[in-house]
Amino acid sequence: MEKVSRRQFLGMSTKVGAATLFTGVFAPSASSFFGLGGVAHAGTKKIQEFNFAVLTDAHLYNIADHKFDHILEKAVADVNGLAKKPDFVLYGGDLGQSGKKEELAKGKAILDKLTVPYKIIPGEHDYYLDMGAEWRGMFGPEHWSFDHKGVHFIGMNSILIKDFWSARKLTPTERMGLLEELECHQCGAWGVGEEQLEWLKKDVKNLSPDTPVVIMTHSPLWDYYPRWNFQTLDAPEIRAILKKFEKVIAIHGHVHQVVYNQIGNIHSAGLLSTSWPWPYPPVTLPHPEIKMNRVDPGNFEDGLGTHQVSLNKDFAGMMDYRAFADLLPENVKRGLKL
Amino acid sequence: MNISKLMLIGVAVVGVASVSVAYAKSPRSEKQIAAENKALMDAVAKGDALWHDGRLGTNGLACGNCHPDGSATNPHTWPKYQTNLGKVGTMRDMINWCVAVPLQGKPLAFDSDEMIALEAYATYTHRGITIAPGKDEQHGAVPVKSGPGYP
Ligand code: HEC
Ligand SMILES: [Fe+2]
Ligand SMILES: [Fe+2]
Repeated sequence: MEKVSRRQFLGMSTKVGAATLFTGVFAPSASSFFGLGGVAHAGTKKIQEFNFAVLTDAHLYNIADHKFDHILEKAVADVNGLAKKPDFVLYGGDLGQSGKKEELAKGKAILDKLTVPYKIIPGEHDYYLDMGAEWRGMFGPEHWSFDHKGVHFIGMNSILIKDFWSARKLTPTERMGLLEELECHQCGAWGVGEEQLEWLKKDVKNLSPDTPVVIMTHSPLWDYYPRWNFQTLDAPEIRAILKKFEKVIAIHGHVHQVVYNQIGNIHSAGLLSTSWPWPYPPVTLPHPEIKMNRVDPGNFEDGLGTHQVSLNKDFAGMMDYRAFADLLPENVKRGLKL
Repeated sequence: MNISKLMLIGVAVVGVASVSVAYAKSPRSEKQIAAENKALMDAVAKGDALWHDGRLGTNGLACGNCHPDGSATNPHTWPKYQTNLGKVGTMRDMINWCVAVPLQGKPLAFDSDEMIALEAYATYTHRGITIAPGKDEQHGAVPVKSGPGYP
């Protein structure tokens, strides 16, 4: 396997198409781009300290000069300007609003301005117009894994819903329209599905329990508020597959808010969007001390932001919510331990 | 409604109206009540549709983008001093503020069917919550397991 130095790779990524190479054709062999990698390397608890950035939920509309375009641009500029340069960026889904090619292409053009490589998973807003066809054409597989500096990273499509549209003879636009509502009145709950569960089992089969694992899904891997699909149907199965690991950091989009939970070995954190914030659902938060403030609707940047996750050599994680406005109470401002 | 209940209402109303035996509001038949309730639920459903379809704005956004199930509209807290309004206003003032600012749309007439429908939807999704004018809180909507959120 040819070694490409990180420097060389970053140099490549600024050229047109290099991001496609990364996001599109990111087979396990490509992990060598990161210098370290390969399943064998991940099986030790000591890792090389590094950080990565996380962006999600841009919800771009097919409208020229839309305010959300500018916010995503601001987020990309924020990540590019980080004092501690991240090794790469993870993107958590809902890049577009209505699954249109134009929205996804606009989003990709903005994300391609990142000066580090990025990996991306789909959200429901990217998906239900054409069942992910355009998205896959632009970004490649809906699930993936790679190893970086001793950490095993996993991304999965968690928004697969049982067919409710065929029997009702809905058009693709009608189907997408229903799913654009968070509280979709007739869509039902989503998950990763059998195929991805099988894939995940195989993916982690040969990893030793002390392997540090980071998993990204669009929706939380716990039952938060199913009515808004703040859940993943087969999260219990996913948690069972990941149970053997000493520690798993799970990061999810979709909720457009600060939220934290821990179930067993899995430490979950929700993400800020770059479109609009969501109020907390009518349930008690598992960790009420970790939340964001109410948002000023007169400030379009309030409730939004980017994230930087730092991992130390013992796989202690720190999530830095980088809110664009005064959103975070002191305890969250100091960073969320993961 | 059974006869004894009807008589009870009759007695109560007569009691208030005392001397002249005129009903402030004549007792309604079950059929009438059902029709009136249906009219309310039609307004709620119309509000639900308006809440989500982006028709009120010019930038693609709808109320539902930021207020799923009507949450964070806090119908139980109005009227109150609202900072963005800069005055004591009603929920209709704030509905129009959100039409104009986040949605970049044209404010609705206060007595329009649309305005009433939006208010009906937001209020109905918070049914049962204690009214508390001026209370500075963000209250969630009535929890819903699945379905449309109203009967
Ligand atoms: C881009 C996001 C966004 C959109 C779209 C939006 N709002 Fe708002 N709205 C907010 C935020 C944020 C608040 C402040 C919530 C709070 O008080 O915590 C708010 C507040 C309100 C309030 C007052 C809540 C209070 O207690 O002060 C009402 C009523 C309201 N919105 C109605 C609407 C309606 C009706 C629409 C559609 C016409 C709408 N909003 C669209 C973001 C939005
Ligand atoms: Fe989203
Ligand atoms: Fe989503």
